[in-house]
Amino acid sequence: MLSSVLGTVLVLAQTCLAQTGDGFTQETIAQVHARLQPAICVITYTSEVSNPQSGESTKRGGNALGLLVSPTGLLMAPGHMQVENSEPFNITVAVGQGDEEKEYVAKLLKKPDDVNVCLLQLESETPLRGLPYARFTSGVELEVGTPLMVVGVLSEPLDFARGIFTCRVGAILDKPRTTYCIDRAVRFGFVGGPVADAQGRVIGVVGFDLAVSEGGDLYVRSGHPLVYQTSLFKKYIDTPPGERIAPSDEEHAWLGVFTQPLSDDLAEYWGLKHNGGIVISTLVPGAPAEQVGLRRGDVITNFAGTPIRAKQDREVRGFTKLVREAGIGKAVTIKLLRDGKPMEVEVTLGSRPKSARDAGEYEDPLFGITVREITTDVRILLNLADDVQGVIVRRVKSGGTAALAGLRPGIIVMNLGDFPITSLDDFRQAVGKIAAEQPKEVTAFCRAGSATGFFRLEPRW
Amino acid sequence: MRKAMWSLLVLTALLTSGCVTTGGASQSAVLRAKARVAPALVHIRPVKEVFSRGRREEVQIVGSGFIISADGYVVTNEHVAGQSKFVRCVLYNREVVDAEVVGTDPYTDLAVLKLTTDADDLPFCRLGRSDNLEAGQTVLAMGSPHGLARSVSLGIVSVTDRYLEDRGDQMVSPFNTWIQTDAAINPGNSGGPLVNLKGEVIGVNARMLSGAQNVGFAIPIDIAKEVIDEIIAEGRVTRSWIGETLQSMRAKTDDPTQKGVVVADVDPLSSGYEAGLRAGDVMLSVNGIPTNARFEEGLPAVRKLIADIPVGAEIPVRVLRGNEEIELKVTTAERSALKGSQAELPQWGFTAVNLTPAVARRAQLSSTNGILVTGSQMGGIAYNAGLKKGDIILRVDDIEIENLAHFDRVYGALVRSKKPRVLLDVKHGALTRFVLVKQNGNLEENAAQSASSDEGDGHAE
Repeated sequence: MLSSVLGTVLVLAQTCLAQTGDGFTQETIAQVHARLQPAICVITYTSEVSNPQSGESTKRGGNALGLLVSPTGLLMAPGHMQVENSEPFNITVAVGQGDEEKEYVAKLLKKPDDVNVCLLQLESETPLRGLPYARFTSGVELEVGTPLMVVGVLSEPLDFARGIFTCRVGAILDKPRTTYCIDRAVRFGFVGGPVADAQGRVIGVVGFDLAVSEGGDLYVRSGHPLVYQTSLFKKYIDTPPGERIAPSDEEHAWLGVFTQPLSDDLAEYWGLKHNGGIVISTLVPGAPAEQVGLRRGDVITNFAGTPIRAKQDREVRGFTKLVREAGIGKAVTIKLLRDGKPMEVEVTLGSRPKSARDAGEYEDPLFGITVREITTDVRILLNLADDVQGVIVRRVKSGGTAALAGLRPGIIVMNLGDFPITSLDDFRQAVGKIAAEQPKEVTAFCRAGSATGFFRLEPRW
Repeated sequence: MRKAMWSLLVLTALLTSGCVTTGGASQSAVLRAKARVAPALVHIRPVKEVFSRGRREEVQIVGSGFIISADGYVVTNEHVAGQSKFVRCVLYNREVVDAEVVGTDPYTDLAVLKLTTDADDLPFCRLGRSDNLEAGQTVLAMGSPHGLARSVSLGIVSVTDRYLEDRGDQMVSPFNTWIQTDAAINPGNSGGPLVNLKGEVIGVNARMLSGAQNVGFAIPIDIAKEVIDEIIAEGRVTRSWIGETLQSMRAKTDDPTQKGVVVADVDPLSSGYEAGLRAGDVMLSVNGIPTNARFEEGLPAVRKLIADIPVGAEIPVRVLRGNEEIELKVTTAERSALKGSQAELPQWGFTAVNLTPAVARRAQLSSTNGILVTGSQMGGIAYNAGLKKGDIILRVDDIEIENLAHFDRVYGALVRSKKPRVLLDVKHGALTRFVLVKQNGNLEENAAQSASSDEGDGHAE
């Protein structure tokens, strides 16, 4: 009896010795590392981040982990590479390490809207084949405590060496879909890295937030790394999306409202029996919603045949997406509650006005100033009245005429000399006429914040 | 404390060596001047109301002041004695006397206190003149730098009429220029006298340029005298305005023959706007008195000219518009307080102020109805409902809010009735939204709700 107990203890002790704390043998870890690390590459890119308020944009370099997912050079990368107001370009990808390293140029494909990853395709003059890649396994169900391995890259000072770490499933979320949380912090170079289980099967990649359409950045704030299961992105690997279309060419349908969800408390306050909905909180002047007489406080319960049941902020995104993709110029029926009574309104959707990101710019070398047209989003952001017309200063050249006069980004130029400015063309023409006359001084009438004032420019002819 | 003492020693050493080079200021003259003023010097310790993070707090600060009458009127800065509930004064003989705030004037940063004493033989300062100052003349600054009472420092007038630039759309000192001095002025000197060698007060020390060496500023005594007299007589200072924001002629042209002052902006809610005054006009005269300000140093005098006209008077204002000279009949209105009065709403856990015309204008409101939220306490009822700094509350349930006093009455009734849900109509920037306040919700439930609620301004569609 005693000896059999001892035996069990001994066996246990041996198992413990052979395994790490996370339940893998050293051999398994080494195998997974060796098998997956060739598929890991390092993406280098430049991104331009624009601030819609000031109109200023800054360029900076970035790195991200890339995971080859096909032998012909399809690559997956973390979704943060490509976010609102930040456009990556000059993308190169280093495949392999040391002497084996080879650099490719890559193009960005259209970003999936239901999972927060980026997809890229390596480019080459000769067709690519036989590249190392990670093979995914679908349909593996995990439990809390299931041990996992993640492969990724270390930081730049460590030459992006490929590394591996072990962890476990720390929590399982069931909304909006089954999502596994990793039980520890993940270093930046491991975001987007493949996740393998004890059998060495690659069951997903490390991600942080859900896609925007699912409520997105809520999870960024939580700081909890997630596993994007294979099933989420399998379709994109099977049929890669087309090349990303520049946002300026992409048109979205537009209703022209700002909204909030109909929480149970709001429903109860207003005495509405309805379960969820979208409350119109602000109407954009002149937009389709206002034109058909929608009002603040209207509760949208059905949009073009789709019932709307938003109760929480993140559920509003679904409505936003629904409108965006409903089709420009299309007439849709909106069912709503006004003062508790059901109503139906037909509205023809407009097209979403150009945003600051796509706004036209004019750079004037004479005054050392770059100005931009005032777009609807900037008008809302700066809370400008409709009668405020002009162009907004985006940049001034240090030491230039505009800078010396005190003009700075964010100021709206409404008059230049005797010329009223309502568009970039007006500004361009005004500068042209001023240049022909070469006056000693030119007065600009401007708006800074809610106040107006003059700036006197002294051009150096 | 040790460190403070040490810095005092360094200061003394510098000033002593400075004394030798202060051209012509004989030791005896300095001693005489000091002896005349010192007995009237007051070390002031007000307990002020401070509103931060949605809470009202009381803090004790240190400043300086000087007695101006045998029965105990004391002059100091508004930023020392404003919003104070209780002021303790230490006289030069170290006697401690409490004081009442007679009145304050934020526009000039002046305040008048009255010592609560029956004495009618207190030592007091003689007030001199500031219109005949010369740069280079010797002056003494007296007060409590860093709380060190009864300190004297010596220097000269550096500039007699320094104009301090506006900060954004906030004027630092609309109605006065400043005496700039190199006599050491430190935090705690505020409200103390700047004294000439005759032992007369010629300025009230109020500002310093931090990070600079001995660049201090005092309010000229001529303007201070007018303000002090009005506060003692009326308890406050009444000023007129016609909605004007002025710029020097130089903002528009450097042509020295061009007379007048530039109207940079006219508040749309003002009597001037109503009478036809417009941004871009050149104001030539007000009430028959020429308004010339080629340089910005001339602006305070023009603003004061308008401010000194009785409220409600109909005055002729001559302006140049294009090449046409026109006369407008403008009825002056009372200039609103620089600061709105602030209050804490403790049951809901937030603080708010009345809207000033400037705030209303920035928010694109057509009146000053409503209140501005200045902070909300984390975990409080208001915070959990999503109310935050910068929100403007326009309606509570179906009641349109006029001002803070009105809100306080509505709020008081709601708190007493324990109505479970209250709906606020809130504006923030260009966006409006509904905020549901749960008065009876237990804290945990409220907290859970706020965790899922967005901090943003709503969802753009």
